[in-house]
Amino acid sequence: MINPLFTRRRMLDWSTASLTGTILTSLLMRDNAAGAASLTADATGSPHFAGKAKRVIHLCLCGGVSHIDSFDYKPELAKFHGKSLQSEERPATFFNQIGLIRKNDWEFKQRGQSGLWVSDLFPHLATVADELTVIRSMVAESANHTPATFEENTGFRLNGFPVMGAWVSYGLGSETDDLPSYVVLPDARGLPAGGTINWSNGFLPAEHQGVAFQSKGPAIHDLFPARELPAGQDSTSRELLAEINRRHALGRGSEDALVARMRSYELAAKMQLAVPLVTDLNQESMATRQMYGLDNETTADFARRCLMARRLLEQGVRFVQLFSGGSFGSPRINWDGHEDVKENHTREAGRMDQPVAALLKDLRQRGMLDDTLVLCTSEFGRTPFTQSGADQVGTGRDHNMYGFSIWMAGAGLKHGVAYGSTDELGWKAQDKPVHWYDYHATVMHLLGIDHQRLTYYHNGIQRRLTNVHGEVLRDILA
Amino acid sequence: MSRFRLFVLLSLTAIYFAAHTSGNVLDELAFDRQIAPLLAQRCLNCHSGDETKGNLDLSSREKAMAGGESGPVIVPGNADESLLWQHVESDEMPPKKPLAAEDKLRIRAWIAGGAVWGTETIDPFRYTTDSRAGLDWWSLKPIQNSKPPAADDRLWNKNPIDAFVFARLKDAGLSPSPEADKQTLIRRLYFDLLGLPPTLEQINAYLNDSRDSAYDDLVDELLESPHYGERWARHWLDIVRFGESNGFEYDEPRNHFWPYRNWVIESLNQDMAYDEFVRQQLAGDILYPTDGLAITATGFLVAGPHNTTLPDNAKMKMSMAQDELEDLVGLVGQTFLGLTVNCSRCHDHKFDPISQKDYYQLAAALAGVTHGERTVLLPLNQDRTRMIDASLKALLQELNALQEPVRNKILAARKSGTTPLLPPPQARVVWEFHHDLSETLLGLTATAKGETRFERGALVVDGRSAYVETAPLPFDIAEKTLEVLVQLDTLDQAGGAAISIQTLNGTVFDAIVFGEQQPKQWMAGSNSFLRTTPFGAAEETEAANRPVRFAIVYQQDGTISGYREGKPYGTPYRQGDLQLYPAGQSQLVFGLRHTPAGGNRMLSGRIHQALLYDRALTPQEVATAAGVAALNHITQDDLFDAMPALQRDNHRQMTAHINRLNQERQVLANQQPQVVYTCVSTNQGVTHILRRGDVGNPAEVVSPGGVSAVASDAFPEALAPNAPDAQRRTKLAAWVTDPHNPLLSRVMVNRLWLYHFGQGFVATPSDFGFNGGKPSHPELLDYLAHAFQSLGYRLKPMHRMMVTTAAYRQASTVREEALALDAENRLLWRKSPSRIEAEAIRDAVLVVTGQLNPTIGGQGYRDVEHFPFKGSNFYTSIAERGTEGHRRTIYRFTPRGGRNPFLDTFDCPDPSATTPKRATTITPLQSLALFNNDIVFTMADHFATSVKQTAGESIDKQIKQVYLRAFGREASLDDVQLGQTFLLTNDLAAFCRVILNSSEFIYVH
Repeated sequence: MINPLFTRRRMLDWSTASLTGTILTSLLMRDNAAGAASLTADATGSPHFAGKAKRVIHLCLCGGVSHIDSFDYKPELAKFHGKSLQSEERPATFFNQIGLIRKNDWEFKQRGQSGLWVSDLFPHLATVADELTVIRSMVAESANHTPATFEENTGFRLNGFPVMGAWVSYGLGSETDDLPSYVVLPDARGLPAGGTINWSNGFLPAEHQGVAFQSKGPAIHDLFPARELPAGQDSTSRELLAEINRRHALGRGSEDALVARMRSYELAAKMQLAVPLVTDLNQESMATRQMYGLDNETTADFARRCLMARRLLEQGVRFVQLFSGGSFGSPRINWDGHEDVKENHTREAGRMDQPVAALLKDLRQRGMLDDTLVLCTSEFGRTPFTQSGADQVGTGRDHNMYGFSIWMAGAGLKHGVAYGSTDELGWKAQDKPVHWYDYHATVMHLLGIDHQRLTYYHNGIQRRLTNVHGEVLRDILA
Repeated sequence: MSRFRLFVLLSLTAIYFAAHTSGNVLDELAFDRQIAPLLAQRCLNCHSGDETKGNLDLSSREKAMAGGESGPVIVPGNADESLLWQHVESDEMPPKKPLAAEDKLRIRAWIAGGAVWGTETIDPFRYTTDSRAGLDWWSLKPIQNSKPPAADDRLWNKNPIDAFVFARLKDAGLSPSPEADKQTLIRRLYFDLLGLPPTLEQINAYLNDSRDSAYDDLVDELLESPHYGERWARHWLDIVRFGESNGFEYDEPRNHFWPYRNWVIESLNQDMAYDEFVRQQLAGDILYPTDGLAITATGFLVAGPHNTTLPDNAKMKMSMAQDELEDLVGLVGQTFLGLTVNCSRCHDHKFDPISQKDYYQLAAALAGVTHGERTVLLPLNQDRTRMIDASLKALLQELNALQEPVRNKILAARKSGTTPLLPPPQARVVWEFHHDLSETLLGLTATAKGETRFERGALVVDGRSAYVETAPLPFDIAEKTLEVLVQLDTLDQAGGAAISIQTLNGTVFDAIVFGEQQPKQWMAGSNSFLRTTPFGAAEETEAANRPVRFAIVYQQDGTISGYREGKPYGTPYRQGDLQLYPAGQSQLVFGLRHTPAGGNRMLSGRIHQALLYDRALTPQEVATAAGVAALNHITQDDLFDAMPALQRDNHRQMTAHINRLNQERQVLANQQPQVVYTCVSTNQGVTHILRRGDVGNPAEVVSPGGVSAVASDAFPEALAPNAPDAQRRTKLAAWVTDPHNPLLSRVMVNRLWLYHFGQGFVATPSDFGFNGGKPSHPELLDYLAHAFQSLGYRLKPMHRMMVTTAAYRQASTVREEALALDAENRLLWRKSPSRIEAEAIRDAVLVVTGQLNPTIGGQGYRDVEHFPFKGSNFYTSIAERGTEGHRRTIYRFTPRGGRNPFLDTFDCPDPSATTPKRATTITPLQSLALFNNDIVFTMADHFATSVKQTAGESIDKQIKQVYLRAFGREASLDDVQLGQTFLLTNDLAAFCRVILNSSEFIYVH
């Protein structure tokens, strides 16, 4: 963190706002008493109550996954295949081309001991169905990719709000000094639309912005000197700097910021050691590499990132976000199956299914799933009718904000269950609709954060991830 | 009386007493202050409006007493019998969160006391309570012209601001810190006012300046620097959330948004009055429809993200449009008024007296704003123009110094032996055209058009395109006299005028015209010859060979007389009435009969002098004026005759140079078409209040308007709900900038204070509502707000006032005893040190390494490469190339999806989020960036090279030079020794890299 010049101000802001403030205050007081400001003053415990989860992996699937082809089994679709949707008003969709109903393109089966329905779209994931907690009654406020993605990640439909990873970093801080608390691993095919907007700190301090690891070269910008230096120069430079800074701080009284700045260089040096280690997948066994699919061309990218995500969490990173899919447009490189869901989803699922299943197994084997939360979401689902002429059964499906599925796994959840439901065709959420803010509230709860109390003052409001909404989904908690 | 009843009575008495002493529940005022807000906050959500729960409406006395489905709910004087009390007591109502004990007590005592009602329909906004601001909230009250307290300390009595600060410190048992040393002060001032470090020369000049006024003069000098605008524009752009791409899915680049950034820089440099600055950003395109700069200014309205990915579904589209409108309403309310109006989209504001209706009124006022591009005329290169102006100013001073003694000598020679003349009549405006268009008496500005130039002390016009027009005359003209001294290129020309007074559109004019109706005759030209009759004088024969003085006198009764060389010219005449020229709507033109230019209206010749009198001169006065003028008028030939040859050559060179610069300046003044990203005005239909902010749930129609809690004269009558955008935004701009609106001034001086001192009086610069809390120095805030208004909303005098205080000049050293009392330094017992911002770090690196390209304005530089990919747009980092890449950071192209990681680590804000106050963090990623980024190595190389050029091969000298440049101070012996050891094994560039990373380099104390 922190410029303590500013911290005193911020502490006051916080202390009125949340318990977090109190914890931070006491930590800093302790540090001040000891005569040294610490960069690790962010709370590492759960701020509001003991949370089941300590860290998060978020798999963010861009484009809109067809829930009726994956986790939301609707036998009625087959019955109504080729018929038009019976509804009082014309369905509102993005492209406004309402074709006929189309049955699911993948066969559904009940899986594992739980009997959770998972389609053949995800054969590997199906093998770990007993780990999954599926929410089948999601509702979004926008059927437009970017506002919907913003809502999925920030709770708001506009640019400029902090994403959940930034909120978690703000609320929990990092378990390690050596790595950023929020790391982003983008799809090798390209960044999601909007680029860095998707992991913005918004109005939170910049330290909570997601740090996107680069797939080529050093994972972090400026991790190493931009040019090759004579042996020893970097370390002697560091020593000289420390001495110059020490002398400068002398005689200025207890100016915490100057001490903190000196410490930040020490931490930077530690980061230079930690990052190459954590990103070096050669340390993994052959069996692990094979399990993730690292050596298979189709799955290699996602496998690499899933494995790296696990390694990052092991080293104390708080929040790792993986993107499945890049920006929109044709040919598609994400889940946006307007033209042909079968072709599109086969490709996209093929890239991630095995690595994600391996990740869950691996986390379970290592005991990490007990205090790690895995989230898999997409900004909305797809329509039960095709995007085509009114009298056709087309091959593509349009955006569906009224009902879709996401899944979670890991700490504090009931496993192998499905929560809520859509109507018989999977068009709209029917039983126990869940909004993004309910999902956010639940994730925060699992991390030991009361979503109503984790706030940051911005322009008139103590802002929350959940705005003025949000109910924790207690029914899915273990 | 049973014991039970006695108990009740005693209890009631106790409650009554308690209520009476604590807050007077029983009178109407007390109802308004205590009960009404309680009802409003806790009951009226369900129990008022169109659909009341249980048919019970508690918003007015009549309805409340009438009761609901279960009958009456209030029995005045008897709480126990009142359903209202029963439900409240049992926590049945309000349903989710029961009333607090003291609130219950209030309700009970109120009913028991007779349920006296106050203002008829409850206005929940009327009074401030413990949980919300009312109409009496401090920031909504008129600005008080506070009187500074008397300070007994002499040092702290110099400046009224200090008196306020000192009094507050004294109250808290604190004392101020001593003044910082001069080295600290100059560095502090440079970063604060210009965002740049001082150079070695600048530091030395200041340190060696021992005059008392040295500091004040430095402040004045910095405020006049064009870098001031760059520094302070960055603050403004943070608030505006200026970004050069659309954001959202497509994130298209805005390749033509940079003119808005430059407009902000220029406006600040020119010290445009803040209210005008605001007006132009809200409605410049409407207020000044032909002014390209004013149209550029409305870029403010479209600075934020904009979603161009549109669904085919109409309702989805409307919903998106509403989301963006909310963002804009928020920006306007927060930026100019410190009001978070956007919080009232779904319901009345929870903390401030802003209703949902207010929100939709303001939304309606802004509904016509759409994003787009317009082609406008902009001045070419304002930076170059400014440099030319500075050069011209210096050259003209020099020239004048050269001429002055010669001129005096000539005049003295002329006067000796002649009898003194009568004093000349007083003109209102006079142009001498010595070397420029300066006006002698009022400083009225004029603009040259076409191919004009200055030669031998005259304005040369070519008869084709060249003429000069003045700014609007700031006074009325009825009776008048026009006078010129002019030489013609040829007597065979017809229709051109030497001087003309005209209405701004050129349709009405009176002019001294040559040869129009009759060849080689002067005449009084006028529109459609309404006031024109030939004077009937002899043909002109001399004006092509020498300058001739001609005057025309216009009398009240319409009589028009001509004079040549001070003598009557032909015959006076009367034709039609005297033409009036109202102030602000009239101007003079020289070399042209009337605008537009062209045709036979252009004069070919040299105009030596032009005068306008605001009365009809008598023949005697005309003669005197001509005589005096003749005596006083010294031509260039006269001057040259009286100069020695060397001086003459010098003079010639200078005038040639002046002419060249003047010509270039004229070309630059010509405006060029430029595409700008800005507000495109559209006319929209009516605006509905949307229940819960939902586009699918419209309620009543509202008229465009402001927030009713803000005092202003601008919306006394509602606009039509479907009023055109021009009306809406004109009114909006008038409302925001109304002098009765106390927020405009308060919010802005608070921002200025924040940037100078590190924190505002109000800690939340864009929120002066309940959540913003109360100011640390309320009287001082009002004193400054009042001063700001009195000084015509000029920023520069406010800066001057703030940075010349003793409070600002304090040392920053921590004093433990003060730290213990006021750790945040809210009371200003020292000057808080600060880490310079991301942009200032990069700029400072460029300055000390000698690499800064100081060009001001223009398109800016790109450190990202833009590539479209699958319909979206991406921006990847590339190296900053060449000198173009070494411009100040404010000129960085700033796409929302392409942030600069180096700047980001130093808290450069997200261009999508308005940032009225930046955070300052310290992180390891910051250290990595500053230690390892390529720019630091490159700059360290430049730094080393440049230091070696000055210091030579001596290691000691090199170290000293590095310290001087980077820190603005001498290296101590210890410093030098430390450096020597390092340089035994490392090169100077490595040393420079360390210095650029040091805290001393990026902190200002």
